[in-house]
Amino acid sequence: SGELSCSLPNPRNVHFESVNMKNVLHWSAPAGTGDGVLYKVKYSVYGVGKWIRKPECKNINRTWCDLSSETSDYEEQYYASVKAFLHGMCSDWVETTRFNPLTDTKIDPPMVSVSSTEKSISIILTAPGKWKKSPEEESISLLQVYPGLQYNVSVLNKKTKKRWFFSISNSTLVVPWLEPGTTYCVSARIRVTTPLLYSRFSKEYCIATLKDK
Amino acid sequence: TAGIRIFRFGPCQVSLSMTEIRAGFNAIKANIQARDPIRTLSILSYPHSLHKVQSSDRCCITHQLFDFYVEKVFKHCQTEDSSINRKISSIANSFLSVKRNLGQCREQNKCTCGQESSEKLKQILENYEGLNVTSAAIKSLGELDILLDWME
Repeated sequence: SGELSCSLPNPRNVHFESVNMKNVLHWSAPAGTGDGVLYKVKYSVYGVGKWIRKPECKNINRTWCDLSSETSDYEEQYYASVKAFLHGMCSDWVETTRFNPLTDTKIDPPMVSVSSTEKSISIILTAPGKWKKSPEEESISLLQVYPGLQYNVSVLNKKTKKRWFFSISNSTLVVPWLEPGTTYCVSARIRVTTPLLYSRFSKEYCIATLKDK
Repeated sequence: TAGIRIFRFGPCQVSLSMTEIRAGFNAIKANIQARDPIRTLSILSYPHSLHKVQSSDRCCITHQLFDFYVEKVFKHCQTEDSSINRKISSIANSFLSVKRNLGQCREQNKCTCGQESSEKLKQILENYEGLNVTSAAIKSLGELDILLDWME
């Protein structure tokens, strides 16, 4: 059998990119190899002996591999590794650092919905859901994963440019004593105190308070 | 101070600057974990995850774990990098005060220890003693987030 010589340069920058615990392994092609490089991927649970191959990422030419399903238990930590092949040559296996889904994921901004009366606006915030295998699977809110999850809310009076900031734990906020017939713009982000995680601010949602009767 | 968390174990209550400890650990995590080449063993999670521990024993196991880190881990984690060492000793100081507070709870019988906690501690010590002291201490330090995640 054609014995492979592992003198191919290694894949570079092998790392997990994780958003809402959708955990995708990424890497860069070996230096100077051009097209035609294929890759294999394996992963392991920290503290457990064996490496497990990922069949869907065997002999692939893309430089990413979705390991969300394999790393969905966020009470565990993981390593993943990539090997490159080209013209009968191979590289070494290149590993990630230890991946902790709980602390190493990024969180999307919350969904924001706003309604208004004459002198107040009501804001309802919804934390994103944890990644799930299929739409049928039961949704788990990141609120359940991070009990210390809070919302930072910004409210801007478009006329006066005055801005308020609120920090709340529950998901609804009513801002009273506002001016009738005025546009207010709301933006929110998620903040987890420990492990310390911040989402980006959501885009702005603007709404006008009703005019005086 | 920001990030002080109060942990209640029945009648026993201790406070811990979790954000500070997490920040300190995050700063040294990659460096310390890179010094631990052994993927096949976890000091805290082998063979059973900490998350399987019954709530009745949480206070005792927490005290045992803080005692383990103070007595068997931090003092054996000297590195050649002084900034890493400073972060380690800052975490160690936080652990020391929590260990004392939990110790007082035990003296006042507010922190009962059952069979499960003694079995878990026995397992941790077996895993620890299966390696040479420095490797075991570095591996344990690299697993600090496992302890912090479990506590939270």
